[in-house]
Amino acid sequence: MTPTKTKRAKKAKSTQWNPNIVVFACNWCSYAGADTAGVSRIQHEPHFRMIRVMCSGRIQPGFVLKSFEKGADGVLVSGCHIGDCHYIFGNERALEQFDKTKNMVRLLGLEEGRLRLEWISAAEGARFAEVINEFTAQVRKLGPSPLNSDNRKR
Amino acid sequence: MLDAGRHPLIDVISNAEVIGCEGKPGDFRVRVRKNKRYVREDLCVACGQCTDVCPVIAGNEFDVGLKARKAIYRPFPQSVPATYVIDPEFCLNLLGHLSEKQIRRLEKIQKVKQRKNLEYSSNILPCGHCTEACEVDAIDFDMQAEETELNVGAVLVAVGFQEFDARKLGNYGYGRFPNVVTSLEFERMLNASGVTQGHVVRPSDMKTPKRIVFIQCVGARGEGGRPYCSRFCCMNAVKDSMLVRQHDPEVEDVTILYTDLRAFGKGFDDFVQRSLDEKSATYIRGRPAKVDIVPEDDTLEVFVEDTLGHEQKRIPADLVVLSVAAAPNDGAAELSEILGIDTDAYGFVSRRDAAVSAVESTRDGVFVCGSAVGPQIIPDCVAQASAVAARAQLFLTGHRVEKHEEPVEPLDVSGKPRIGILVCRCGFNIAGVLDIDDLVQYATTIPDVVAAAGNTFACSTTGQDDLVELIREHNLNRLVIAACTPRTHEPIFRETCAHIGFNPYLFEMVNIRDQCSWVHAGQPLEAQEKARALIRMGVARARQLEPLHEGEVPMMHSALVIGGGIAGIQAATDLAVQGFPVTLVEKDKQLGGRLAKPHLKYLYPNMRPASEVLTAKLKRLKDSGARVLLNTDVESITGYVGNFEVNLKGETEELIQVGAIILAIGADLYDPKDEYGYSKLPNVITSQELETMLVEDDKNVEVAGTRPKSASFVLCVGSRDPEHFPGCSRYCCPTAIKQAILLRRMGMDITIFYRDIRTISTGAEEMYREARGLGVLFIRIPEGDKVQVNGTDHAESVRCFDDLLGRQLEVPTDLVVLSVGMQPKQPDTSKFHDILKLSVGLDGFFMELHPELGPVETTVEGVLLAGTVQGPKDIVDTVAQASAAAAKASVFLAHENVRLDPAVSVVNEEKCRGCGTCAEICEFHAPELVEIEPGTFVARINASLCKGCGTCTSWCPSGAIISRHFTDRQVHAMIDALFSAETPK
Repeated sequence: MTPTKTKRAKKAKSTQWNPNIVVFACNWCSYAGADTAGVSRIQHEPHFRMIRVMCSGRIQPGFVLKSFEKGADGVLVSGCHIGDCHYIFGNERALEQFDKTKNMVRLLGLEEGRLRLEWISAAEGARFAEVINEFTAQVRKLGPSPLNSDNRKR
Repeated sequence: MLDAGRHPLIDVISNAEVIGCEGKPGDFRVRVRKNKRYVREDLCVACGQCTDVCPVIAGNEFDVGLKARKAIYRPFPQSVPATYVIDPEFCLNLLGHLSEKQIRRLEKIQKVKQRKNLEYSSNILPCGHCTEACEVDAIDFDMQAEETELNVGAVLVAVGFQEFDARKLGNYGYGRFPNVVTSLEFERMLNASGVTQGHVVRPSDMKTPKRIVFIQCVGARGEGGRPYCSRFCCMNAVKDSMLVRQHDPEVEDVTILYTDLRAFGKGFDDFVQRSLDEKSATYIRGRPAKVDIVPEDDTLEVFVEDTLGHEQKRIPADLVVLSVAAAPNDGAAELSEILGIDTDAYGFVSRRDAAVSAVESTRDGVFVCGSAVGPQIIPDCVAQASAVAARAQLFLTGHRVEKHEEPVEPLDVSGKPRIGILVCRCGFNIAGVLDIDDLVQYATTIPDVVAAAGNTFACSTTGQDDLVELIREHNLNRLVIAACTPRTHEPIFRETCAHIGFNPYLFEMVNIRDQCSWVHAGQPLEAQEKARALIRMGVARARQLEPLHEGEVPMMHSALVIGGGIAGIQAATDLAVQGFPVTLVEKDKQLGGRLAKPHLKYLYPNMRPASEVLTAKLKRLKDSGARVLLNTDVESITGYVGNFEVNLKGETEELIQVGAIILAIGADLYDPKDEYGYSKLPNVITSQELETMLVEDDKNVEVAGTRPKSASFVLCVGSRDPEHFPGCSRYCCPTAIKQAILLRRMGMDITIFYRDIRTISTGAEEMYREARGLGVLFIRIPEGDKVQVNGTDHAESVRCFDDLLGRQLEVPTDLVVLSVGMQPKQPDTSKFHDILKLSVGLDGFFMELHPELGPVETTVEGVLLAGTVQGPKDIVDTVAQASAAAAKASVFLAHENVRLDPAVSVVNEEKCRGCGTCAEICEFHAPELVEIEPGTFVARINASLCKGCGTCTSWCPSGAIISRHFTDRQVHAMIDALFSAETPK
């Protein structure tokens, strides 16, 4: 690549808006799945930050709402597949919590597409990367969150 | 695997083989040759830089050659030890790949070099890329094979199996047609981390196949292969059919060609039903004659006779998967010779008497488990492996080691946070993508950070020393390490912290390798930004961390076994011989359960008298010193692992305290009531009643005053029946065949009405063949149909539609035997469900913690399941599971104290409203409502029951529960920190 081309490529890239995504993951499955993506070097979008908890059942509505309040453009909640929970039914509780959270997010006037729930197992590195790429594209399409303070200033 | 590799009492010697074994049980001298690895295990940090530069490409064995690897490689990503290895066959520095002529030539050159005093190295074709790349100098081409002698008390053989070579069955075209693959190759494709990341492709053109055909029993159950059943292939094909559809919607048809569908395990029949409901596959009963290629469009054609649809079929396929049989490992025979143990006719390791102990080989002190004795499914393998642990203890008693750690003076961690950060380069793994100096510089700008430094390998011995120095020099009270994943390395760093008295819960790990540099290598700027954010978040969390201390409660070193059947006897014996006081309680007036008179005459497959086996077991029990209480029942149980209090009622009424409980109450047999005319017709009996008759006289059978000339067996009575028990009872097929052979030998004409013959256990398939040879007729009951027993005052005939002939059959008979399945024992199951708060599955049997990871454990720590209490089993599997339960119980009992994980949930009683939500949702029954004053309730969480998932914390409506180490404050601090700096533009 010639220097000009590189520059152009960089410029083209920098014009693209990149979302801020928060990912909540359980220790045993989805965090491990993200590690597996790493071990297998499966490249994916870097615009997310992971917060690890022991079980998806720990992910309370407050965590998701706080993320949106602080300016997250998208939040992904992830855990073990149903039936695979390290704590037996923690992920089913997470599902119930998620439904509540979804309603609250709707009340806030946010698009439903900004919040997503995914079950990803420790072996599914490729699946993890796929979910991240899909979700990033989805949020990118929605644009910046209306709750994002930077956005409000504009 | 990781657990085993990290266990302080387990030495893993890989790349090694046993070359000699002398001595006696309790004192074996085993000689082991450790082959050359060419990479020093003590130095290698598994960074993988050598692999990146290695120029040689070879087939990867782990992916059955479907994927490439280098000559220096790690066999698979999770391998233990993580050390890399050089394959001498391919390495340019080593000779394996050269012909003899080339070697001689090179040796000559080398001699000349030596003589002329030129630079000499043992490398002949110096490549040396890996040596240059390795920063820790772990590569050693002069490494020699080492021989060591180990002094051990017992030896365990767990060498597994290998695939049957499908090339031997030429008609299926494996090896000739690229699109005929084995089930293992298919499995690697389906695996998300496998060759094609989970996409199934045709090897010939890498396109997604539209039509997939599975051929079952390839090389199994006779006909050109091995006579036995491989047990796992049916379910594997069903599972694969579901997975492939989930993954690739392009797949249109999946066809499974089977002989019998052997879904014998717990929940397996439900799984097959799900596959039928979801239409994941078309099932055709038939064994294909051949697979041929259609040259025009490069597809395949499978020729099969559908034995239920009565037609010859040609099934077009893009991909054919051969479910290949399990065969003994190539080295098993040689190893058996070295160890002085016997192998069976097929080459699997023999057991002395599987009914007495499922894991003992023919030599004392040498044990065997898993597929080394014959094909197994994973839950059975795991149970057997634990069983070995129990049996082997016999030769290790007195050698049990309990780790005692010298208490270390804790460092003072009070006051304002003084945070130190270590950023690991991991060789080039992190530093190749991220700018470490920038990260260190950035870290120093974060408030409360008093020290920051980079390190090449934080986990290496020198890295750990640097870490200790950092803590001491800057008097740190919080520590952040930005490196790889906490899932593998947190324990290592925590140990280092604890070692110097630094509270390990004040340490936080930030994952900038697995989840950053490795996956965003193409976007270094974004990766750098992400790493900065992750470090910022890690520091924010570290600021909120609190020192936590492991609690301890004393452990009662005794156990209670409930139920005196074969499982209870085995479990009690195995625990008592280890020196633990054991109490065995039995409701009945005698021990033995279903093995005792008058229940069982012979055990299949070798027709051993049940009484003989029981006598042997009872003798072992007596010798073990276990205390046996007959006519005694359990009244109530309270407490938790290490400290259960049990009220016994019966002959003796007493309160005992035990550390662990093994539940072995067994199962009931199904009562057919008026089904098949059982209650009305005197010559319709259950298999149990026939067995009782055989106990009295195994030469003559008399029913209702006459000696029958013919008999019909009806299988699956009360099993595989959604109304009663949806699952398979496992024991009935071989039992019916055993009884049929006995009756046939008395001269009777025998017909067996079956749904699928599931002769899965060792020797059972051979028995099935013997029965057919003796002229026993087998008639398949069509799916969803039932046989009809005709007769007014006694049964005269059995009517059934015969699939093979395609018409109704009426078989005259003098005797009808109903092979009744197992059912959960009632009311005992409900009773113990209430007392112990154990989970019961949909089938009514007690639920194990996890079918593969914890087949005998339950959700209640310290309570274990043995035998048919967990689901139907035959005697061999029951015995193995009972020993496994004993082994798991001894793991608890061997500890001085019960260690309590401090990272659990606690209740702030001032905030608690006593609503009881937490108590309702907790699967482990850790929270409990306590009345602190009349009418006022608060929840209290029992730290010894809590697993620390934190679900109750997120559900508490008052915010009264705190999940230690994952507190609201800690998580919120991370979210705040995430957005505190400039958002990415």
